Amino acid sequence: MPIINFLIYLLTMIGIYSLLAMSLNLQVGFTGLINFGHVAFFCIGAYTASLLVVKAGAPIIIGFLGGMALSGLLGYLMSIPTKSLKSDYWAIATLASGEVVRLIALNEGWLTAGPFGVMSIPQPLEWLFSKDTYPLFYLLLVIACMVIVYFFLSLLTNSPFGRNLKTIRDEEELCLSLGKDTQKLKLQAMVVAGMVAGLAGALFAFYITYISPENFKPIETFLIWAMIIVGGRGNHLGAIVGAVVIQLFNVSTRFIGGYLPFGADFMASLRMVIIGLLIILFLLYRPEGLAKEGKKVYDLKSRDVG
Amino acid sequence: MDISQILANSLVRGAELSLLAIGLTMVYDILKFANFSHPDYAILGAFLAYLFKQTIGLNLFVSVILAAFITGIVGICIDKVIFKRLRIMGAKPVTLMITSLGIAIALRNILRLIWTSHTKTYGMPLRKPIEILGARVTPLQIGIISVCLISMIAFHLILHRTKFGKALRAISDNRELASACAIDSEKMIKWMWFLASSYAAIGGSMIAMEHLLYPRLGFDIIIPVFCAAILGGIGNPYGAMLGALTLALAENIVLALDFGFLVNLGGLFEVGSIQISTGYKPAISFVILIIVLILKPTGILRKK
Amino acid sequence: MNNSMLTITNLQKNFGSLKALDRVSLEVESDSIVGLIGPNGSGKTTLFNVVSGFYEKDGGEIYFKGERIDGLTPDKIAKKGLCRTFQVSKAPEKLTVLENMMLAAKSQVGENPFSAVFMRPRVHKSEKSNLNRAMDLLEMLQLTDLKNEYTSDLSGGQKKLLSLGRVFMLDSDLILLDEPTAGVNLTLIMELLKVIRELQKKEHKSFFIIEHSMKVISDICDKVYVLNFGRKMAEGTPEEIQQNEQVLKAYLSGA
Repeated sequence: MPIINFLIYLLTMIGIYSLLAMSLNLQVGFTGLINFGHVAFFCIGAYTASLLVVKAGAPIIIGFLGGMALSGLLGYLMSIPTKSLKSDYWAIATLASGEVVRLIALNEGWLTAGPFGVMSIPQPLEWLFSKDTYPLFYLLLVIACMVIVYFFLSLLTNSPFGRNLKTIRDEEELCLSLGKDTQKLKLQAMVVAGMVAGLAGALFAFYITYISPENFKPIETFLIWAMIIVGGRGNHLGAIVGAVVIQLFNVSTRFIGGYLPFGADFMASLRMVIIGLLIILFLLYRPEGLAKEGKKVYDLKSRDVG
Repeated sequence: MDISQILANSLVRGAELSLLAIGLTMVYDILKFANFSHPDYAILGAFLAYLFKQTIGLNLFVSVILAAFITGIVGICIDKVIFKRLRIMGAKPVTLMITSLGIAIALRNILRLIWTSHTKTYGMPLRKPIEILGARVTPLQIGIISVCLISMIAFHLILHRTKFGKALRAISDNRELASACAIDSEKMIKWMWFLASSYAAIGGSMIAMEHLLYPRLGFDIIIPVFCAAILGGIGNPYGAMLGALTLALAENIVLALDFGFLVNLGGLFEVGSIQISTGYKPAISFVILIIVLILKPTGILRKK
Repeated sequence: MNNSMLTITNLQKNFGSLKALDRVSLEVESDSIVGLIGPNGSGKTTLFNVVSGFYEKDGGEIYFKGERIDGLTPDKIAKKGLCRTFQVSKAPEKLTVLENMMLAAKSQVGENPFSAVFMRPRVHKSEKSNLNRAMDLLEMLQLTDLKNEYTSDLSGGQKKLLSLGRVFMLDSDLILLDEPTAGVNLTLIMELLKVIRELQKKEHKSFFIIEHSMKVISDICDKVYVLNFGRKMAEGTPEEIQQNEQVLKAYLSGA
């Protein structure tokens, strides 16, 4: 049934985007790192995973691991300038980095097939399922990844490491004065964030089976930003909520567009106008997002209160 | 490509970029945040000029002036409705920056809504290029350089001969002292936005006139504009002009360079021609930006 | 140098043509409490900023426990046992009072991604012991009721107390306090001074304190340095300083 297929597709994409949103949230919402080039992780993860399999003949699991590793490496590289650059200068640099990565994918055809993209990407365990049931399997795979990452990140941020990140975000000088190596912490946060986004990229490549530089334009970064601003920064659930809201909005307007007398280009622009307005309105009137950042309350039951 | 042509091309591009870089650096300095939507104000201006000239049929000069005026007003309005509110809320500069990203997205796509993504031209008549000192320049390019020169001079006069300009420089040097001297910051900020936005509109029109006009142009020039402003030192409008010129020069030189030739000079290897493809042109300003930021985050010219 | 905790020699710090610190030399001996006073703008906080690594020096040497520390980053200096509070207390917006204390705990497990996720039992154990210490300190500082409040919601005086709590959690050997009593009520000040003296006696900690209140200075300081216009103007015991004519003149005219 086409509706079920569509729903499965929608949920799968929501799952992939929630990984991207959780990754950006770790950088922005928890560590205060304003990354305007987030799509670069997505791009590297997808290209690495697919090229390893399609060009180098590696098994798909290696594709996944390779995508995550290289994105993690990019995270490391992007963290280096945070030492000498103020947050807004770094933001500008990340905006440029995102585009440079896409330009490399576009121009280095010998590696990436340039504008033609990577085609016929095989899918994991496709021999195990029939053509009809495979999408359901993949959806479950994506949901499993999403759940694992959610719990992983929750453990991560609900720990001394997470505490340090939040302090970097709110008062970096205090963090330094208490003996924390903030540069190393930012590095670690960026590597983890990179790996999560790289995983999303790999999942995307193996799902869509064809990727090109067109999939990794700056608009992706902006969409993911809208997700964390609407959903709520500093809150992993907020990232997922944001992904759901923005993706639903994106997709539903595609439907409505069919009933309205406007062209596809018009609907696409209208969609993005609303995305931009959502960002502005939320920052003006509900900066904490739909899901607020939780307050950490320690369990003191085992202590004798004098 | 010979040197005089490179110089000529750089002069034109530098002139165009400087009109945007001036406004960006002013806003960055006075309001302490990077306005990511600034290049989109420029393209709004370009589209308005296109509307007046191509659609309504007004004279080119009048169209650009009108467009600049309207864009200046738009700049004031956006500040009043959005940025001012955030300032009152005590928002951090980072929040303003993120909001400006939202404005950029909205603005760019409103332009796309109205005018679609198809490229537009200003219907400029094709004229034979003139040869000046070994370089070929079209009359349009000469016109662009002249407009920019005049605008630069006007800016200098505004900054040094008007009350507003003096107040602006005072606020730039020391905000607290300026408000202690009863300079009405908010009024000054309004005028600053008008100046920055209208200049951006002029610059945007020039850029679109020389090449093509399309809504995404704002994003395509954001990195060179930021690079020019940072190169020149945030808060230094003259630096921004110099930065724009330097960047344009660097872009053209790097593209023209045949790295293979340089390697061959070393005598160790025999390689063929190695040139950076024009597809990487935006990346050049990025690399320059990174080098500048690493070496001297305050820019090449010190703030006055 | 043997029993010197901190030795500063000819320290120079310029801001353009302004000499914020002009060849300042001083010493904080182990097991002592030293005061630093001077009119506003005399360079006291600048001195703290340079010593703790937040500002780069333009000349001179800084020795901590016999080791050169000038040029090190603030976190490395803090790890070596020298910590400081800020003149305007730092208050991380979305951290609770108790989280602040836990943040400052000297030894923590789980400060990197691997241990945070894969060594949960050890993290839990270290958090629990740090929690006990944190709550003890909060009780002493009379901040227990505010333990779950966001730092940004505290009053100025409460933020000052919290900064003290943080550096106490850090368990450093030399603690630089920048106006620790500003905005704190009198009875609590007396309590704090008692604690500082105790920490010095029992745990052999040294303190270097910027203060405006001569009462506090004379109460706990063994020695006092006086800065004026970036230069060391006088040094001595609190009694000697209070009778120093130059000092009195500086305060009357320059404060």
